[in-house]
Amino acid sequence: MPEASQQLFNYLIVGGLVFALGTIGFIVRRNLIVMFLCAEMMLQGVSISLVGWGRYHDRLGGQMLVLFMIAVAACEAGVALALIVMLYQKSGKLDVTFWQGVREEGRAAFVDRNVPRELDREDHWPRLTPAGIEPTLDEEAPLHRSRV
Amino acid sequence: MSGGGTWGLILLVTGLFLAIPHSTRRTRNAGGLLITAGIVSILYALPRFGPWFEQLVFWALALLTVGASAAAISMRSPVYAAIWFAVSLLGTAGLLVQQHAQFVGVATMVVYAGAIVVTFLFVVMLAQPEGHETHDRLSWGRLAKPASILAGGTLMALLGSACGAVLNGDIPRAGDGQSLLDDSSELARLGNELFSVHLLAVELVGTLLLVALVGAIALMIHGRERRATREVPDA
Amino acid sequence: MFAIEKLILWIPALPLLAALITALLGPKFLRSTCHIPAIIGIGASFLFSLLLLTEVRREQDAAPPGGFERIVTVWNWANLNDAYEHAEAAQPPRAVPLRIDVVMRIDALTSMMLCMVTSVATLVAVFAAGYMHGDRGYWRFFSYVSLFVFSMTMLVSVSNFALLFVFWEAVGVCSYLLIGFWYEKPEAAAAGKKAFLVNRVGDFGFALALFLIWTTYGTLDFHDSQSVDSIASNATAVAADDSLIAASVANPGTSGVLGKARIASGGYVGGAVGFVICALLLLGACGKSAQFPLHVWLPDAMEGPTPVSALIHAATMVTAGVYMVARCTPLFMASPDAQVLVSCVGGLTALLAGLIALTQWDLKRVLAYSTVSQLGFMFLGLGTGSLAGITAAMFHLFTHAFFKAVLFLGAGSVMHAMGNVIDMRRFGGLRRIMPITYGTFLIGSLALAGVPPLAGFWSKDAVLGAVHDKLHLYEQQIELRHAQGGGAADATTDPARAGIGGLETLTDGQLVCGIQAYGWLYYAATLTAFLTAFYTLRALLLTFHGTERVPHEAHGHAHESPASMTFPLMVLAAAACIAGLFFDQTYNASLPSGQRHSFAAFLASAPQLAAGAVGKTPALDSFHLSVAATSVLVSLAGIGLAMYLYLGDTREVRVLTSLFNLDGVVQSLDVRRVFRWRWVAALDRMARRAGLGLVATVTGYLLGAVLIVVSAPLLVAMYVSPYRLSQRKFYFDELYDWGIVRPLRGFSRLLASADRWLIDSLVNFVGAVPPAIGAVCRRMQTGLVPFYALAMLLAMLLLLASQL
Repeated sequence: MPEASQQLFNYLIVGGLVFALGTIGFIVRRNLIVMFLCAEMMLQGVSISLVGWGRYHDRLGGQMLVLFMIAVAACEAGVALALIVMLYQKSGKLDVTFWQGVREEGRAAFVDRNVPRELDREDHWPRLTPAGIEPTLDEEAPLHRSRV
Repeated sequence: MSGGGTWGLILLVTGLFLAIPHSTRRTRNAGGLLITAGIVSILYALPRFGPWFEQLVFWALALLTVGASAAAISMRSPVYAAIWFAVSLLGTAGLLVQQHAQFVGVATMVVYAGAIVVTFLFVVMLAQPEGHETHDRLSWGRLAKPASILAGGTLMALLGSACGAVLNGDIPRAGDGQSLLDDSSELARLGNELFSVHLLAVELVGTLLLVALVGAIALMIHGRERRATREVPDA
Repeated sequence: MFAIEKLILWIPALPLLAALITALLGPKFLRSTCHIPAIIGIGASFLFSLLLLTEVRREQDAAPPGGFERIVTVWNWANLNDAYEHAEAAQPPRAVPLRIDVVMRIDALTSMMLCMVTSVATLVAVFAAGYMHGDRGYWRFFSYVSLFVFSMTMLVSVSNFALLFVFWEAVGVCSYLLIGFWYEKPEAAAAGKKAFLVNRVGDFGFALALFLIWTTYGTLDFHDSQSVDSIASNATAVAADDSLIAASVANPGTSGVLGKARIASGGYVGGAVGFVICALLLLGACGKSAQFPLHVWLPDAMEGPTPVSALIHAATMVTAGVYMVARCTPLFMASPDAQVLVSCVGGLTALLAGLIALTQWDLKRVLAYSTVSQLGFMFLGLGTGSLAGITAAMFHLFTHAFFKAVLFLGAGSVMHAMGNVIDMRRFGGLRRIMPITYGTFLIGSLALAGVPPLAGFWSKDAVLGAVHDKLHLYEQQIELRHAQGGGAADATTDPARAGIGGLETLTDGQLVCGIQAYGWLYYAATLTAFLTAFYTLRALLLTFHGTERVPHEAHGHAHESPASMTFPLMVLAAAACIAGLFFDQTYNASLPSGQRHSFAAFLASAPQLAAGAVGKTPALDSFHLSVAATSVLVSLAGIGLAMYLYLGDTREVRVLTSLFNLDGVVQSLDVRRVFRWRWVAALDRMARRAGLGLVATVTGYLLGAVLIVVSAPLLVAMYVSPYRLSQRKFYFDELYDWGIVRPLRGFSRLLASADRWLIDSLVNFVGAVPPAIGAVCRRMQTGLVPFYALAMLLAMLLLLASQL
């Protein structure tokens, strides 16, 4: 049935786009939380495709898989966010490049160059009411980069 | 993929390059425009199906989903990124519902948008930066952004051409696609299958959730204890 | 009465057991009582050997003609089917299994050797208990000695060439271990290495001989693997029967190389192959028995403890070569050229070693060269190829074991008293300090010198007589041929012209050659007997006579050795006294023929000596009065000369030394003397006064140059005067050093540098490639998580693209 194929094609393309955007975001962004969001976005792309395939084959398997995926994503979110909070408490930052202790011995650590000036002062940032306790920085943290 | 799709992909990639951080507001606006144009042209190039109303709804939902995803990875602030991700989830849920997967769509809304994204926001609130963080505006290397966007674009193109097999009707269908159309008994059938065929998997996932819960709590407690023991000599 | 099949197993087993006990328990538990298991084990082994000997004597009377032998198969060691396609002429090729059994044999030769080895070993072990007392390696010594006795008893009692080779090497290893026993001493370590390496040359020849025997005869067994006696009895009945030869050839694996069937049928290969087999065997024997040109290791082996020198390097191991050649008599009988070669090697070695021994100052070294010389005598006897010569050689081996052991142990006793000083110039006149040692040493010396009626006289005389007989046999044969006219081409086919003692197959050329060789060898042997008497007495007189001198190493308490050392000396000296007279009664014409020499008669019952070609040769049965008289005269002359020179004033010695050192020639070549002559100076002065000073100088220089050129050959005499040749052992060590060792070392260095620069650099290059790649790749290990994600994405793209 060509119509079903065309429908599936549409959904697959959309799912693929979402997946690829998630991939790009995961690689490009440095904020741990945003990276994590991007990973979830990739899962969304996959779930769109899965449901599309289920519809195409007239089976419930695709939806089942998406349901389990949601459950696993919830687990993942719980553990990953706990880890992120821990890392944040250690370094006071959400920067993924801060954690590069597994690099090869003798290799220089990554350091930001040409940090951009504030070009747009009028830029408005949303401000949420701070929650929780103000983290005290780990004293050893600055030493971390030169440890390896 | 047709020519319109290719040009749309090029527009999308260019827009992403302009919109993703380390950019001024102006290029970000232009990028947004390019991204929208790219998505529209891709969607327009896709083959039509079904009645016009359904087609219109699909276009709207797809534009919402992909556009919001692109916005989510382009936003400097994690707060905005999370909000755009929630919007993208809305579109996804819509697409799922349109696919006669109402329960899954609703579950996505509830679990993702309702629980996970809220947790994100909570973490963002915990780690609220005072000012503008450099790492939200810069990628991690000079070539990182172009390379990853090009790789992502290639991924999109490859996925699209791989999906061409579907369009050619090479893939035989297992059913005629009629049984899922009956929305009235959808939930019952889903439940039936979930708790009969996939019962073991359900139990396993339940266990997994419990373990993840315990693990998350243990991680937090462990980290806090180590901090505490390290602070004892100082005190 | 006694099961000799059991005895033959117990004889080697007991020393092995002793070796194991000493090795395992020695360092911790036995400590200074390590000699007890060794003495008990070897002593019991000696008693068993005596039992075996009497049993063999009893059995051989009842044995069928063709000799007595008993084969005991212990276990199967190797069994390879289709090892070799055995192709005899006129026979289709067929597969022969290579089967090596651990087989012991019992016969006269074996039992005699066993008795000799274990008796000397027992006495030496008793001696060593005193001599080695307090040594750090006490347990090691007795463990090695027991192991050696095990190896040596196995060597003389196995019945297979492969096993013979195994134990041949085993005694070599024990010898190496014991020479280098004091391995902290660099000389001892070097001597052990030298002995081992020189022996490798001989063993290489021996191994080649084994290969050739295998390819020629299709078996390595001595014995027939069929029921031996039945075949042999048939064989002697119809010895010339062609069918038997055919049978033995048709079943090449079943009739042993030295088996009765083959001996009876005469199925031995002569010609070039037979000669090469014998020559290679001889090379092996030369290595082990220190014959020219492989004799250089034995004198150096004296670095080992003196009991070892007595046991291994005088009495037992070095006679393994003699034993092997005697055992292989049938092989040698098939090749008369090889026999002449054996004789020549033996005679040359005897003379050479005797000459070297004349001028050595080291007591043990004199004895070592004397051993080499006496071994040469044995080879000379073996090479005569007659039953008389071979039994005489074995008899000499037997008596030599006793008197040489007593000499070595006496030297050990002297060393013990002198604080390990062995240089004869540093002590003297010890006969009052050590009377027992002196007495036994005197008996040993006289026995070695060949003074009747001591043992050495009888055996040496037997060897000389055998050579003399052989010479006469050849002369008679050639006279016979001349009388009949014509050559020897058809001698075998013409029964009327059959010669004497199996010489009919020889050509005239071989006969003439043999006469030349044996003639020279006889005179060389007689000269050697003179030299032997001289250097033996020289050593005795220098050590025990003259003014009493004791080196300071003795710390002033030089004394007679303890009873454990003097007792073996006395026993051995007694044996050296009576061994000859007891066995050799050839002078007693009243005894029936065949019983006059009980030793030779007993040995002749060994299958290898009983039948075949050697059986037709004359036996050791008569007393050569002329030969005996000559040798006694010569010995007495040697003794008398030594007594004249070394008793009392030694002025004559110095004169003789300078004479043989060509000191006169050297002095006369001193050109500077010319300028001291008065008339030369006068002539020079006249020339200068006449204004011809320049002419006189130039003429003088020219004359000097001419003189140097003319006298250049004489200058060589400064370095190769007879005295120096003897003192420096005919420069054999230097010759080998420059001819073999240094070129080989240079070649090795070349190869080593090639290895280092060429091969190693190649290998290192290969080894350097992965680190180079790694050095590039490790730069990618940035530790950035997004970078890894990017790498994964790119790899995934590659996979996807390849799937499209």
